[in-house]
Amino acid sequence: MRSYIIKRIVYSVIIAWGIMTITFILLRLGPTSPVDRYILNIAARGQDVESVRQSIEARYGLDKPIIEQYFIYMGNLLQGKWGWSFSTSQTVYDLIASHWIYSFQLILLATIFAIILGVGLGMLAAVKQNTRIDYAASIFSFIGISIPGFWLGLMLIMVFAVYLGWFKTYYDTAYSIWSLENLKQLIMPVLALGIGELAGYLRYTRSAMLDNLRKDFVTTARAKGLPEKTVIGKHVLRNAVLPLVTIIMFDLGSIVFGGAYLTEIVFGIPGLGQVSFNAIFANDYAVVVAVTLIGTFLVLFINLATDLIYTYLDPRIRYD
Amino acid sequence: MKSVYGNYAEMKSKTILEVINLKTWFFTRRGIVKAVNGVDFALKSGECLCLVGESGCGKSVTALSILRLFDSPPGRIVQGEVIYGGTDLTKCTMPYLRKIRGKDVAMVFQNAQSALNPVFTIGDQIAEQVMVHERVSRPEALDKARTLMEEMNIPQPGRALKMYPHQMSGGMKQRAMIAMSLSCNPAILIADEPTTAVDVTIRAQIINILQELKNGRGMSIIFITHDLSLVKEIGDRAAVIYGGKVVEVAPVEHILKNPAHPYTIGLIDCLPDISAQNKRLPSIPGSTPNPLAMPPGCPFHPRCPHVMDICRAVEPATVNITDVHAVSCHLFVNMRGGSCNG
Amino acid sequence: MTDIKQTRRSKPAVDQRLLHYYWERLSKNRMSIAGLVFIVFLSLVGIFGPVFIPDPQKTDFEIKNLPPIGFSIDESVYDIKTGEFTTTVIRGRPDHPLGTDSKGRDMLAMLISGARISLLVGLLATGIAIFLGTFIGVLSAYSGGWVDNVLMRFTDIMMTFPFFLLLVMIVFIFGPSLAIIVLVIGLTGWTGAARLIRSETLSIRTRDFITASRALGASDTRIMFNHLIPNVSSLVIVMATLSIPGVIMAEAALSFIGLGDPMSTSWGTILNTGQHSLDTAWWVAVEPGIMLFLTVLSFNFFGDGLRDAFDPKAII
Repeated sequence: MRSYIIKRIVYSVIIAWGIMTITFILLRLGPTSPVDRYILNIAARGQDVESVRQSIEARYGLDKPIIEQYFIYMGNLLQGKWGWSFSTSQTVYDLIASHWIYSFQLILLATIFAIILGVGLGMLAAVKQNTRIDYAASIFSFIGISIPGFWLGLMLIMVFAVYLGWFKTYYDTAYSIWSLENLKQLIMPVLALGIGELAGYLRYTRSAMLDNLRKDFVTTARAKGLPEKTVIGKHVLRNAVLPLVTIIMFDLGSIVFGGAYLTEIVFGIPGLGQVSFNAIFANDYAVVVAVTLIGTFLVLFINLATDLIYTYLDPRIRYD
Repeated sequence: MKSVYGNYAEMKSKTILEVINLKTWFFTRRGIVKAVNGVDFALKSGECLCLVGESGCGKSVTALSILRLFDSPPGRIVQGEVIYGGTDLTKCTMPYLRKIRGKDVAMVFQNAQSALNPVFTIGDQIAEQVMVHERVSRPEALDKARTLMEEMNIPQPGRALKMYPHQMSGGMKQRAMIAMSLSCNPAILIADEPTTAVDVTIRAQIINILQELKNGRGMSIIFITHDLSLVKEIGDRAAVIYGGKVVEVAPVEHILKNPAHPYTIGLIDCLPDISAQNKRLPSIPGSTPNPLAMPPGCPFHPRCPHVMDICRAVEPATVNITDVHAVSCHLFVNMRGGSCNG
Repeated sequence: MTDIKQTRRSKPAVDQRLLHYYWERLSKNRMSIAGLVFIVFLSLVGIFGPVFIPDPQKTDFEIKNLPPIGFSIDESVYDIKTGEFTTTVIRGRPDHPLGTDSKGRDMLAMLISGARISLLVGLLATGIAIFLGTFIGVLSAYSGGWVDNVLMRFTDIMMTFPFFLLLVMIVFIFGPSLAIIVLVIGLTGWTGAARLIRSETLSIRTRDFITASRALGASDTRIMFNHLIPNVSSLVIVMATLSIPGVIMAEAALSFIGLGDPMSTSWGTILNTGQHSLDTAWWVAVEPGIMLFLTVLSFNFFGDGLRDAFDPKAII
């Protein structure tokens, strides 16, 4: 078991290296160099383009051979020297440090919401299979996974903020993050982001519960005289939920981060998605790259954590 | 109340469980599966009654029906009674039934690997059953579990308690499952083909355990099997099931020496005889009936070498050919005048 | 015994009975047939529609902010001179049945153009992704050894990137054009396919019926063509169908935040315009969203039905 943990961590390090390298390759493959983008921005200020280019290249070492640049790049990334954001006049590191909490909060709340409702409703639908509750849940989950999250956000704003006036149409950063007022204005974004997630978890839980409800150990549990809620809530659930951990983590990487990016933009929440979005249109590429890499490394870390948690939770793997 | 035994009063006094005209049907999209279609038998206290039949004849569903353990949306007991302790288990309330389950009547299943929950330790699973029926604490329950494992001759019982099912060998799992079923000292043990999925050496161990339970503790056992040789080893009486009905009931020696029903005769003939030389293995022609489309009259008539016109139309009544031997076949309904019920 | 070679040659390329069998199973699922109907409808609209409509980008400020037919909206205009609001009721007109946006562009024309874009991107990008994924998956499973190792590590690395973030970054680097978008979605979305197909190929190889075939003397190529490919192909078809909605949403999301192709009108682009006029022209935000939703829903229904139809264990 310990050797597995070590192997897994080493593997993650390899993947981390791969991530940084591929990003570097992508950046250098682009038609415009980082310098060109920067110059686009200051060209309006009328400075002499060539001399500015040369001084930048010298400062960032872009005139050195590419291999050397690669190592400088890797070194910088690992040390937290993520560049300068000229559109916000601070280091990329500072920019990210002051905005990450908004993304974190949004994703955390949406995921908790999605897990509680998704797993709960999924269990209900499975136990009441083929009843109206089940059909309603199935329809709801199909709709939930098919609705574009960002459009749902727009519709929520339109109905509840513009026409009903229950919420403001913009996100007010005046409130402290965990205050009640802030949580209230997060209701719509959390719904917009969470419903898609919820629908996925509902479907998965329902199907996993149904699979397990047919299994022999359920009959044994009943034959022992256990109350039905123990049979379902303990015996079946524990088996059904195991792979759910993996699914939640997988979703986080593939769907939720992208969804959060869009949700922040729609609702104007100043998280990392919004930061990256602003940077795109200011051509502030260091920020764009940094946000992407942060998201990726988070996914990497979460994958590692999930693997280890799952190994611990499933006795069939733990003792093998 | 129908009974298939001649000396009704005597039988009644020792009967601990009685199944009367039980019919369990499954209402599926493709039609009604009449898995159990009129099963009668009585279990005497301290005896081992074997339910014998081929796969699909309804013996497992019969066993599940006693405790209403089959999947209930498609399945339903449409007729019949299961009398235990004066109560009809087919109609009692769920809380009452749950008190009986695991405590008065316990079940052991065929495949120990799938019957045990893979994510809980064996100790936990046994202790759980004890705690649901008796007011004991968890350490006490685990202690009881340990004792049970010892009785089952499971090596290193303390360590075994902490094992997960997949860590145990086939025989160990099966014995652990038996230990679990005994944890609350049930009066009746229903064993559904407990030896089918294990190899011969384990089979012998399990049969020994069951015999010990019967002789030593006076436990009543319903033993379900398709293997006639097992019936000979462990059974006191046997009930042969075909097409969801009991076609013959008698003490084991009687059935093996004087089988009455053509199906039983066929089954016994199928037993491979090691002394027979170069003979083709006999088999019963035809195949088991499709429970979705049961033939009318006697369910065995399509394959019966003695089939008569009446067999195709009318279900045979059950007749006592001796006071301990009953059969459900038109051959006997016509021959015997008296003691005919139904 | 008849000559086996003779019977082999007379078999049709695609087994008609098998197709019929799958179609039978599929058609019992009403939702998936409904999905298929919508997909066909959308395809027809997307292929032939743009021929019949005027240029979707044509602006006409005279008719801006027209609601769809049957609806009306109050438009309040503030007169600086008089300091008052004059409110007129604007009604939908039959010549712009779905209304117009804030620049007077006809909604119906834009939606039809968007249908074509979504379908184009959906099919092409999915095609690239599935093709790449299948290729890598099969190659990896068949080669084994270090090839398998390297390819799977590479797949793991690419899978770690959050899909949308990677998309945004690449489009940012390489520029937003339809070709780039299709390519990028295709080149980043193959990872799931590669994994699944590799594991399916590996599992099929070890199954008993393959061993039985070998025991009967079948050659490797025969096994690959007669057994592996048919078994994997149903998985590929299902995966492709279920990937299309994700691709369409990705393109819509990119267009929505402004990283779409500026030359084309996709549903996402319409939404981008619409988000600023939620109070004055709500239909601009509602209509493309409904189209997106229905399209994705249809593909999900249809793909789900396909998956059930192909699954030998599902009783239909």
